[in-house]
Amino acid sequence: MTTEAAPARVQDTPVATHAGDTGAKWRRRIVYVFLIGYAILMFIPFTWSVVTSFKTLPDSVQLTFIPNPFTTAGWEFAVTQLEPPIQVLFLNSFVIASAVTLTNLVLGSMAGYAFARLRFPGRELLFLVVLATLMIPDQLRLVPVYLLFNGIGFTRGVGQYFGVITVLAISATSIFLLRQYFLSIPRDLEEAAKIDGAGFFTTFVRVMLPLAGPALAAVAILQFQGTWNSFFWPLLLLGDKAHWTLPLGLGFFRTAGGYANNWPPLMATVVLATIPVLVLYIFFQRYFVEGIAASGVKG
Amino acid sequence: MTAATSATGQPAGGTPAAASPVTTGSEKRAEMLAGYALIVVPMLLFLVLNIGSVLYEVFVSLWKWNVRTGPQQFRGIQNYQTLFADDIFWRAVQNTVYYAVIWVPLTMALGLFLAVIVNQKLRGQAFFRAAYYFPAIASSVAITILWIFIMSPEGLFNTVRGAIGINPLFAALGFSANQNWIGDERTALNTVIILNAWTTSGTFMLFYLASLQTISGEVYEAAALDGASWWQTFRRITFPLLRPAHYFVATVALIGALQLFDQAYVAGGVGGDPNNALMTVVLYLFNAAVSQANFGYAAAVGVVLFAIIFTATLVQRRLFGSTPSWL
Repeated sequence: MTTEAAPARVQDTPVATHAGDTGAKWRRRIVYVFLIGYAILMFIPFTWSVVTSFKTLPDSVQLTFIPNPFTTAGWEFAVTQLEPPIQVLFLNSFVIASAVTLTNLVLGSMAGYAFARLRFPGRELLFLVVLATLMIPDQLRLVPVYLLFNGIGFTRGVGQYFGVITVLAISATSIFLLRQYFLSIPRDLEEAAKIDGAGFFTTFVRVMLPLAGPALAAVAILQFQGTWNSFFWPLLLLGDKAHWTLPLGLGFFRTAGGYANNWPPLMATVVLATIPVLVLYIFFQRYFVEGIAASGVKG
Repeated sequence: MTAATSATGQPAGGTPAAASPVTTGSEKRAEMLAGYALIVVPMLLFLVLNIGSVLYEVFVSLWKWNVRTGPQQFRGIQNYQTLFADDIFWRAVQNTVYYAVIWVPLTMALGLFLAVIVNQKLRGQAFFRAAYYFPAIASSVAITILWIFIMSPEGLFNTVRGAIGINPLFAALGFSANQNWIGDERTALNTVIILNAWTTSGTFMLFYLASLQTISGEVYEAAALDGASWWQTFRRITFPLLRPAHYFVATVALIGALQLFDQAYVAGGVGGDPNNALMTVVLYLFNAAVSQANFGYAAAVGVVLFAIIFTATLVQRRLFGSTPSWL
């Protein structure tokens, strides 16, 4: 940019260019000040939760960024004293999030491939049905889904896990993202496979799936993160404390668990619940951003 | 829709012996069967848990419904009459509409503003994008608890404003030095609005960014040649060209806003405390079903909520006057 601007500057009146330049320079500075300020605003609350988790209760309401005295009592409390134990909450969250991620990958890639590549009557209509489900909010389905699941035992015992996994098993977003990705893959490769005598399933598993890595990664990450954080369905369906996930435990400790204003352990559990998705975000940031962006661009 | 035509069209650059249009009947049938086999499980789940749910909900709403034994007594529109006569329900509607009216434009404006700024050539562009999306990755429950802590009487927000000496300003607005932002019915809902604007602005930024990047640079070069100012360029070029994005973001935002639940539940409990300030329509529905086991009545709330969302979406479509291809 600067190399292109240089010759033009010689011909222009020097004063005018100069004034324009400083104006642009100042605007740039203001932009950076805003950018950095807003970024700080994004990080302060989390930083504050980490700081608070190492404080004592009286110290937790002081405006000091270095805990005085520094204590891990909050963490010890969070790890040993909570009921249900935080380890159980972690395990439940992990099992449910992994299962939901898996079902979305399997069902989403199969349906995505069919909608992108195979010809069958009613395809467009059925795809519209898939997209229409995005307009039906989860909360609206509370009564019918609960009654149905109650009837088939998905609200009792281990069935509660199956209830949550079933209702989250496939999202229209997963199908949509994978379909868009399959559409962008050139057809030549499939043609080659077809000439070699491969059927639709072989083509799908051997040719298309290996090429869909980035889209599968985006779906996996979005689903894992979304399920890890999900609150509504687990709250409705996981009746037994032993089956609770982290958000349920956290909400309970805050509201009914009697730790309402015991900030250091509460902040320690907030940090603990956030760490897994934070690690995912740091390592796979690109997929988060691309997945969200792609679901925002219409087909 | 473009996908449909390209999928049924001829495969590009295949073998010269493109005699494939003469596919045999059995090949066609095999493709059809494979197609149905691959979509059958998700379609069944959607049909039962989404489409079927809505119909079932309408049916249940006409009954006094027992969770164990099913329909107990036919009520007709009685559930709806009771619902419309309940002041707390109207309070919930009022809160939800207020939330949507303030939160949707606020968060859209923030997201658009951030997107336009980080779409420029900047040092650390990737970092800023990642930073602004960051609050959206954490669980709503964790974030709400953190927010309750920060906005509590002795929390970070109150101590910081005391420390930098802007308390006279707050005093003039009628807030004491240790205002309980989330526990005071005057400020509870607005505090949740600010929380959710903060967590969601990054998501809307990403939506807008994806759309901004489809605008060709030539348009801007032409504008620059004509001597258009930064504001003129934004006002006359960027903003109108983003119309499909406005529509998409507004729809997603509105549907999300009318479903407000997690934050209200964590901050105000099932009762939407303080004094129903955080009672939302979905919280009301949850209460009716889970706390009172009144499933027929809860179903009626669901049907009304669906009507509200449906109407709001239609109004919005009229307002924007354009429809994205997938709707």
